Amino acid sequence: MTRLTVEHVARIEGHGNIIVNVENGEVREVRMDIVEPARFFESMVVGRRFDEAPLITSRICGICSPNHVVTSIKAIEAALGIEVSERTKLLRKLLVYGSFLQNHATHLYILAAPDYVGLPSVFPLAETMPEVVDRALRLKKLGNDLTTAVGGRPVHPVSAVVGGFTSEPAPALLASYRDALLSVAADALATTELFASFTVPDFASAGEMLALTADDDYAIYDGDTAALDAGWRRPSAGYRSFISESVVGHSNAKHSTVGGRPFMVGSVPRMNLNADRLNDSGRAALAKSGVALPTRNTFHMNVMQAVELADASARCADYIERLLDMGGSSVPQPFRIRSGQGGSATEAPRGTLYHSYSIDDDGFVTHGDVITPTAQNLANLEADMRDFAPTVADRSEPEFAVLVEELVRAYDPCLSCSVH
Amino acid sequence: MATRVVVLSLASDFGCQVQLTNMTEEILDVLGVIDLTYWQLASSGHMPDAYDVAIVEGAVTTDEHVDLLRSVRETAAVVIAIGACANTGGIPGMANLLDLDERYAVVYGNGGEPKVAAGKRAPMPLDAFIDVDYHVPGCPIDPAEFLRTLSHVLLGMKDRVPDQTMCASCKVNETVCFYDRGGFCLGLVTRAGCGARCPSLNRPCTGCRGVASDANLESARAIIVAGGGRPDALETGLSVYNTAKEVRG
Repeated sequence: MTRLTVEHVARIEGHGNIIVNVENGEVREVRMDIVEPARFFESMVVGRRFDEAPLITSRICGICSPNHVVTSIKAIEAALGIEVSERTKLLRKLLVYGSFLQNHATHLYILAAPDYVGLPSVFPLAETMPEVVDRALRLKKLGNDLTTAVGGRPVHPVSAVVGGFTSEPAPALLASYRDALLSVAADALATTELFASFTVPDFASAGEMLALTADDDYAIYDGDTAALDAGWRRPSAGYRSFISESVVGHSNAKHSTVGGRPFMVGSVPRMNLNADRLNDSGRAALAKSGVALPTRNTFHMNVMQAVELADASARCADYIERLLDMGGSSVPQPFRIRSGQGGSATEAPRGTLYHSYSIDDDGFVTHGDVITPTAQNLANLEADMRDFAPTVADRSEPEFAVLVEELVRAYDPCLSCSVH
Repeated sequence: MATRVVVLSLASDFGCQVQLTNMTEEILDVLGVIDLTYWQLASSGHMPDAYDVAIVEGAVTTDEHVDLLRSVRETAAVVIAIGACANTGGIPGMANLLDLDERYAVVYGNGGEPKVAAGKRAPMPLDAFIDVDYHVPGCPIDPAEFLRTLSHVLLGMKDRVPDQTMCASCKVNETVCFYDRGGFCLGLVTRAGCGARCPSLNRPCTGCRGVASDANLESARAIIVAGGGRPDALETGLSVYNTAKEVRG
């Protein structure tokens, strides 16, 4: 019998416990207990002014706060019928991508990589493989610097507001980031090669796969929601019509299903659905990843994040080029406060994030709803653990533990996000 | 022997710990002077029995948190509270504005409360339960301020949280006051120390660093009302980050 209990799993954001029992090749019990305490964000926004909602809900998550800010703002703009300028949209894309660069570099190098080189943390690598740590820090710092330039700081950006931006980076500063982004192309490719070199289990997740999709871009800032197996594409604002949530006893985060099935969100679904919209850098990295699409292997989330790093750095350089050329303004224009309901989605580093709000005649929020990527992934994560555990139950206990933890970390889970 | 440091989190968004990972270069510089004994976000391993400094993020929202905090206080020579949640209850503290059971109903529906939520309590800052030696306020913490405080801890210097309000920082930055533009800003009562970052980006202060010891609340209310604001605007604005602190009196 193989029994695994890991309390407060390390190198993931938030507090969760893994419980796996396998007896004679049969799974007796598999649970991911989410013990992260609830903070009740959906109740907190009720009664607050519409412009306080992004400020409050961005505190759901310290890692992908730019996504929460932007998703929340877009949902409120949808409710109030506000259109924003192309310039504002490009700046918001940079804000979200800054968090992608920061998050992917952190997840890949600080949280995930130690498993594959047999270390408890990334810190010992600073002595043995300084070039790898330097590369990780360069990517992470560039992401933070980009978010800081556009949003004012790396965690909980301040200048993105309903209608636009309260301030913008100077053109010279933006131009310097274009150059910096182009200069990390080699780092992004080296990251892909590093993660392609790690041996991952041959595993296929049984769940459906969802991601945003758009005709004109690798969808991050906006788009419809697409389902890989079912083949549909639906407006994201109506997410409540296709995602069902249920409360489960062992988790403060709810579990989600689509069409009665657990599903996956994140880099693998995004790549499966949108690889044809990668730029040249992304395609080059994908070719080096050794992954044939579509893939159902959860462990490929890591290397697909690395491919996204390559795509994102070139894509952001292009966005900056356009911003420098286009003129226009991101200053919020006057709008009328009215009652309404609006929903919106973005792709956060670990998957699709949905927000929706109802607003009354005076601009106060009467209802708020958020489904985070990790909450969407939890049911699928448990299903994966159930399928995967028996295949590696013959390994030694430490090996078994590392493999199961690798599976959990591949989702890049954000548990405080999942509970919120 | 290197100072043994643990990093712990209660109810939070991990944003302050993300700010710590954003200081990886600086942290690598001080490894040797400090021994990062336990940091769940960054390293595998178990919480040790002995350590010198505990860095705690997050608000207290469960009985388990209270037990953990008390044992941390018994073990550590120094406790540092980082972030708004740990210092003022922060945004989780807003839960004090409504009955806790009602909040469960809004989020989970009636009767569907998860079992792991046992022992819930109204969110509070750390000093509602234990003495805190050093304070790094803000949502999230400012990396430079954290490093300054950590060096104060290692050098045995006193906690030096600024007493004054944000207004002096705006004067230094030459930021035109929001009240001179017909706007609203909580900087006039909020603790300085972040360089008034939000006002410098043309966004009014939202009070994430807590109310300054030197703040004159009465005079702030008069300024708000003179500018055409509602008499309760100060309390409403402060309630985002400071409800738990206010509730405690």
